[in-house]
Amino acid sequence: MKSTARVNAVRQRTSDWYIPYLFIAPAFVCYTVFLVYPMASSLYISFFRWDGLSPEMVFVGLDNYVTIFVRDEVARLALWNNVVWTIASLVVPTGIGLAFALALNRGLRGTTLFRTVFYAPAVLPLAAVGLIWSWMYNAHFGVINIVLEGIGLARFAGNWLSGHDTALAAVFVTYVWSHVGFPMMLYLAGLQAISRDLYEAALIDGASPWQSFRHVTLPGLSETTFIVLSLAVIQALKVFDIIYTMTYGGPGRSTQVLGTWMYFQAFQYYNAGYGSAIAWVIAVIILVIATPYITRMARS
Amino acid sequence: MAITVEGRTRRAEITLLYVSLAVMAIIWVLPFVSVVLSSLRSQGDLISRGVFAWPNAIRWDNFVRAWETGDFSIYFRNSLLLILIKVPLGVFLAALAAYPLAKMTFRFSVAIFVFFLLGLAVPVQVTLQPLLVMMKQLGLANSVFALIPPYIAFGLPFQIFVLRGFFRLIPSELLEAARIDGASEFGVFWRIMLPLSLPALATVFILDTLATWNEFLIALVLVSAQESRTVPIGLLQFQGEFSSQYTLLMAGIVISILPVLTIFILLQRYFISGLTSGAIKG
Repeated sequence: MKSTARVNAVRQRTSDWYIPYLFIAPAFVCYTVFLVYPMASSLYISFFRWDGLSPEMVFVGLDNYVTIFVRDEVARLALWNNVVWTIASLVVPTGIGLAFALALNRGLRGTTLFRTVFYAPAVLPLAAVGLIWSWMYNAHFGVINIVLEGIGLARFAGNWLSGHDTALAAVFVTYVWSHVGFPMMLYLAGLQAISRDLYEAALIDGASPWQSFRHVTLPGLSETTFIVLSLAVIQALKVFDIIYTMTYGGPGRSTQVLGTWMYFQAFQYYNAGYGSAIAWVIAVIILVIATPYITRMARS
Repeated sequence: MAITVEGRTRRAEITLLYVSLAVMAIIWVLPFVSVVLSSLRSQGDLISRGVFAWPNAIRWDNFVRAWETGDFSIYFRNSLLLILIKVPLGVFLAALAAYPLAKMTFRFSVAIFVFFLLGLAVPVQVTLQPLLVMMKQLGLANSVFALIPPYIAFGLPFQIFVLRGFFRLIPSELLEAARIDGASEFGVFWRIMLPLSLPALATVFILDTLATWNEFLIALVLVSAQESRTVPIGLLQFQGEFSSQYTLLMAGIVISILPVLTIFILLQRYFISGLTSGAIKG
């Protein structure tokens, strides 16, 4: 292994040092031109007042950023919704995903079927997921109200998506439905990587099921948990599609998050500079939180 | 004695597990059932008898009407066109880049790899405004082709990561043997590396097909003309126009999720290996 690497190194140092760069160039150019450059350009735009169309751009410095945190109440609400949403998504879909994985890791018959059912929502377009659940929440025909009436809780039936207090939670339930499969799959893979011998050793030492869970399973899943939680945060901060399709940020502004508020500002109200500033706030938060995860991926 | 008690608790435990799993599975399937049952009946039947009654008569023509009035043939054509061009091209570029990152030593290799990986944390929003300006300047705004470059760029980080991880597992001796036989570097890549990596390529291919079919926000901003819409954008448009014709709307939803569900159920193996190798092993 090492000697091959050295042979390669020598080869490249002599005549064909540029070969690796030739292979990388097409991807590098595409990535730089259509992802990195727009990102940088968006930072530039965020220092201007601009409608996104006219040639006239007014430099305003950090004013757009000040607006987000000081003047714009909706932006602050959106940021708060993002925080609540992110914390909830660290606990709920990941917790349920872990529970499903533990249940499906027992080698029972029908495991594949259950796994398929729990993962299926994750492959759907989120726009379709949003519409499916808007139907679930429909006041007259929706399953949610039918079930509530069926189990004698009719007084709780209502129009979930149009209530200021319930809309965000209702959309989050949808998010849970579609985002449980992913952590479940990762945890299943993590569980399968834990050696059987460890459980046998624990059994011989007289460990109770709880003790072997606490001292074998949980430590064995720590790497997976790190990954699951990192990805949960990244996904939660990017949330857009289902909020856009289910509530359009409403009722009022109650379900706005930074992702949707950025879209409305930039492409509905033509505040391109302000929208770009919101986008950069999202990007910075995600990059800061994702850095440990990316460092670990790079090392693997 | 002790053994029978233990056996009995174990059986009770397994029964409990099955019951809980079954309840959860029913909850998870309910939204699908609700949509499919609604898509199969007439609007009158839905209003008078509710979602869960068995349809009076199965109305397959809901699907035909949704397909025709909703212009789904246009949206399907656009989404398929994107998949046919974008996915092979994107995976090819990712494989090209992943090959030296996995198998060669050169300056800046780590820096380049990290540079690509950072893309995993870039939210689409932070590129939209400049992309829109760019596509207008290129005369591509409103064309479905405007979506291809950003889709490729956003797909590269994950694909390069997964393919690099897989390429590293291929024994270097095989590549070395081909080099000694006089193969060029591209020949080694094309004739040795890619054929040996078919499982990983298939995985990346399928996950990317799915991501392309499902993408919403970039398409929402870059493409507004009716004839350039992709399936998710078209579905939303359809919902806007037929929001009170529930049975037709449900048929439209079924039409737009059926392809991905079918692909998933047929090719599960690839999804699972893709997810786990992408996130964990490397």
